Amino acid sequence: MQNSSWIPFFPEQASTFAWQVDLLYFYLIAVSVAFAIPIVAAIFFFIVKYREVEKFATPEEIHGSMVLETVWSIIPFIISMTIFIGGAIVYFNQYTMPKDAMEIYVVGKQWMWKAQHSTGQREINELHVPVGRKIKLTMTTEDVLHDFSIPAFRTKADVVPGRYTYLWFEATKPGRYHLYCAEYCGLNHSGMVGWINVMEQRDFDNWLAGNTSSQTPVEMGKDLFENKLGCASCHAGGANQRGAKLEGIFGKEVKLVGGGSTIVNDDYLRNSILNPAAQVVEGFQPIMPTFKGQVTEEQLNALVAYIKSLTPNAAATTGAPAAPAPMGN
Amino acid sequence: MSTHDHEHHAPGLQHQFEDMKQQEESVSIGMWMFLVQEIMFFGGLFTAYLVFRFRYPLAFAEGSNHLDAFWGGLNTLVLIVSSLTMALAVYYAQKGNRNLQVIMIVLTMVFGSVFLGVKVIEYTDKYNSGLVPVTGWNKRTTEADLKGGADKKEKAFAIPFIETRAEAAGGEHDSHAKKPNPHGEFQWNYGSALVDYGLKKEKETGKPFLTESEKIGYFSNGVFDPDKYRDKIRLFYFIYFVMTGLHALHMIVGLGLMAWLLWKAWIGTFSAEYFAPVEMSGLYWHFVDIVWIFLFPLLYLLGRHFIH
Amino acid sequence: MQTQDAISAGYGGDKPSYLTNGSTLKSWLLTKDHKRIAIMYLISVSVFFFMGGIYAAFIRLELLTPASDLLETATYNKVFTQHGILMIFFFLIPAIPAILGNFLLPLMIGAKDLALPRINLLSLYIYWVGGILTLYALMQGGVDTGWTFYTPYSTTFSNSFVMAVGLGIFINGFSSILTGLNFIVTIHTMRAPGMTWFRLPLFVWAHYATSLVMILGTPVVAITVLLLAIERVTRVGIFDPAIGGDPILFQHLFWFYSHPAVYIMILPGMGVISEVISNFSRKKIFGYEFIAFSSIAIAVFGFLVWGHHMFVSGQSIYAGLVFSFLTMVVAVPSAIKVFNWTATMYKGSISYDTPMLYAIGFLGLFLVGGLTGLFLGSVGLTVHLTDTYFVVAHFHYVMVGGQVIAYLAGIHYWWPKMTGRMYSEFWGKISAMLVFVGFNLTFFPQFILGYQGMPRRYAAYPEEFQVLNIFSTAGASVLGVGLTLPVIYFTHSIIAGKRAGDNPWMLPGLEWRTASPPPTENFEEMPVVTWEAYEFGEENGLDIESARKASGPSVPVQA
Repeated sequence: MQNSSWIPFFPEQASTFAWQVDLLYFYLIAVSVAFAIPIVAAIFFFIVKYREVEKFATPEEIHGSMVLETVWSIIPFIISMTIFIGGAIVYFNQYTMPKDAMEIYVVGKQWMWKAQHSTGQREINELHVPVGRKIKLTMTTEDVLHDFSIPAFRTKADVVPGRYTYLWFEATKPGRYHLYCAEYCGLNHSGMVGWINVMEQRDFDNWLAGNTSSQTPVEMGKDLFENKLGCASCHAGGANQRGAKLEGIFGKEVKLVGGGSTIVNDDYLRNSILNPAAQVVEGFQPIMPTFKGQVTEEQLNALVAYIKSLTPNAAATTGAPAAPAPMGN
Repeated sequence: MSTHDHEHHAPGLQHQFEDMKQQEESVSIGMWMFLVQEIMFFGGLFTAYLVFRFRYPLAFAEGSNHLDAFWGGLNTLVLIVSSLTMALAVYYAQKGNRNLQVIMIVLTMVFGSVFLGVKVIEYTDKYNSGLVPVTGWNKRTTEADLKGGADKKEKAFAIPFIETRAEAAGGEHDSHAKKPNPHGEFQWNYGSALVDYGLKKEKETGKPFLTESEKIGYFSNGVFDPDKYRDKIRLFYFIYFVMTGLHALHMIVGLGLMAWLLWKAWIGTFSAEYFAPVEMSGLYWHFVDIVWIFLFPLLYLLGRHFIH
Repeated sequence: MQTQDAISAGYGGDKPSYLTNGSTLKSWLLTKDHKRIAIMYLISVSVFFFMGGIYAAFIRLELLTPASDLLETATYNKVFTQHGILMIFFFLIPAIPAILGNFLLPLMIGAKDLALPRINLLSLYIYWVGGILTLYALMQGGVDTGWTFYTPYSTTFSNSFVMAVGLGIFINGFSSILTGLNFIVTIHTMRAPGMTWFRLPLFVWAHYATSLVMILGTPVVAITVLLLAIERVTRVGIFDPAIGGDPILFQHLFWFYSHPAVYIMILPGMGVISEVISNFSRKKIFGYEFIAFSSIAIAVFGFLVWGHHMFVSGQSIYAGLVFSFLTMVVAVPSAIKVFNWTATMYKGSISYDTPMLYAIGFLGLFLVGGLTGLFLGSVGLTVHLTDTYFVVAHFHYVMVGGQVIAYLAGIHYWWPKMTGRMYSEFWGKISAMLVFVGFNLTFFPQFILGYQGMPRRYAAYPEEFQVLNIFSTAGASVLGVGLTLPVIYFTHSIIAGKRAGDNPWMLPGLEWRTASPPPTENFEEMPVVTWEAYEFGEENGLDIESARKASGPSVPVQA
């Protein structure tokens, strides 16, 4: 998140109700300070002024004061009611769904966000939205609870299996904002993150039309692999690796679960993306979801090209029509 | 280690108390507090029951129709009588009448055992009819078993009340025929009469009869989905087994208490001065009975036969 | 020390103390003495506290860097879950009631023991069984569901030892139910002659309120965890959305207990603070009735606000508003307490002994914890803040800044009574300072992180959050030192501490009018109470003149 705010460590305001939430926040800080300072001052004053001068002294008894008790019951109550009302108004704005919104469907699953626009585009761990338009998300999950949280928009909502929950926002400035899963969802909870891309309407239209790409297949595949499809969260190596290691795999013979083996070639890669459970490499669980319907043929080719590029000289061994594979990616 | 100072104390008075009155008061408040926590314990279950009852009334009524109100009613009667004998046991303990006290405790235990016996009959029937909601925990039957139809052991033990009612209802319940269940799954072979009735009512009156959650819960794409419907009935049976199971567990604990009381009464511990254990066990016994008084109508009666 | 013993207002007598009355293992394990049971709780609860603390250390170390490098995510998930489970169920809930409450309640009301000593021993054993089962599960591989056990992750998806841990918590719950039951009975029936309800120390009132919550709330979570365990075994149940069950119902049932449980964790602490502030200011507590009834009010309202944990769970807007409103209402009694504590110090005679330092620290930290509670109760703001580090910071301010600090204040306050020995005042003060500073450094940055949106339970986080996380980890190391110090100087105190005398601070409470440590029967003869709570004058049988003369090293001289 680019931090352009003038207060250090303050999140960006990027939705229509962000300022309301912030205003409430500052009001509460003001109330807190107004409460805390007199109390802390009184405590310090008392412990200095009335410190023990004689051991086991018996100061005069004071039993209490009905007037004081009433005052300091009623004043906090009134103030807490202003806080309640302020919060209620903001809450209404956040959770009353607008009628004229652009709808996007979101499905959470361990551990990725899948979004589908009403025009059919699908995205994973990314969401492209136009600036200045109300967006309504209709959300559910395939497995456990998740929570779609966008701090820059000051909103979030749980995503619950077996039912739909809703979230809306209107972004106020273009940019790239963090998307988090805020409800603990298991192993890779902290990897269930993504980006909200807020674009000008024109750019968004272009994006919808699909002509955003001037990349080579390998670059495009790398982008898909690491960002858009989130393949890297399982296949990128390191301690969390749950998927097969892809570096240097192309052209090799691999053993399969349930016996047998196969040569990793273009067809095997393609089938493994579309129908992952069919031929699983030995030592791995069949946990990969299918990407059928989520990747276009063009993207599929790009992915295969990228995976090939992870094996030096792979292009030469098969002579497949791929873009020149840059080394040392 | 603190020791009892028995020399100048009344029998049964514990070291921390000054006199019997204080001890009895303490024990009695303690027991009531325990019952309060028991109420909260069962309260969680009743909440769960109510939530789903309001969500899926038809499925719950359907599930309820396949419990036998005769056995449930019999058990209610048994428990009420056992409460009476329990109260009499307390009465005779107070009177210091050892023999009648022992007899009443024995009677209470007999009624408690009858209750549990009936529960065994009911559970067995559920087991045989594939109504235990857990996969693999039902009787495994194959096509051959059903065709042969000669499982004598089952015939002897199970009380086939579901079949009886099906016959009484006439020929429209063809789907009641037993089906093979090789994996011991939860089965629902008894059709969807209540949902059909609800849909008919909706058509006739033009008013919604099914709840919103039922429309989502029983149908897929607007078409009745027997599997989804079965799952809701399965929820009913889950709640039924947990509630009656925990209640039965309380009964078993109660029988243990009675056995201890019986021993104490036999050796003549209790007298007009000291009978608090009988009284406290009595409170517990009555509480367990009262839980059943709520369970019986909620599980067996509510929504029953509302078609007629 | 003979003079000291002579001046104590004398219900003690010459009987052997509870510590020396029998030294065999059996005399401890089968004791019915509330004081011995309290000591056994002290040891077991401390073990759990330090285990939970080690987990906390791992959490802070892992969060030093943005990537999940020290611990794998799988391990991290288990670590924070187990930190939560051990700290909440096995430390925070039993800490003050089972240790201090057990030890002091009978002493404070002038009873020989709790009303139901065998039940008391039983609840200790239940605690052990629950604890050992949980530890066994942790050793087998642990649990990774978060301490909240949200379904359906916990029922269907987690491959960890949910069942065993759930059972451990279920069993442990009955320990706290029985303790609460025992306290209520004891307060009702065991008060000494003259000890009327409004002469009870506020510590007793706080425990009465706590016990109500234990009895009314714990069974609900017990049945909920039991249903969860059944669902895990049978693979079918009412929380399973696949067959029409409802995962949100779990949250309702869980928070119906677990929100009031927060008050189980803070009310006894408030009781301790009332005692310490009043006694170390030598001043009658300001607004006794208001503090007493605000405890009861908190206990009652505490049952009506569980939904404020579920503002973003998809419950209806109107439910959210109602719960937000009630949350604001429940803030008022807490505010009343803070005002009264402050006013109590007015025109007092305030000494800066270690317990008082902790109590003043409590006031500051609880103030922050309480005020940030308003942020989270304000529903529009919570939508942004919930499930972020703001929440983590808030509940640590209340739980650690509140309950743990109050527990430490209480242990330091009653240590001379429990052991008959004094601890090092110097190191006590150092520890109080370190805990205060370390705590603030650890958790204050987390408020800012939370507002920036850093989600909780993340093993890896974006780089812009690193600076504040480094502050937090640095603070945690200071806090760790501050919390370890007492173990050292308390151990030293048992071995070589100065004798404390029966009433080192010349305080009027009944617990100070018997020997230190007290005899098994607590009082040689039945005390008769003729004074109101918190009256410090000589007319109530406190021989202050001779105490002044005799007061030597056992009463610290101020710097």
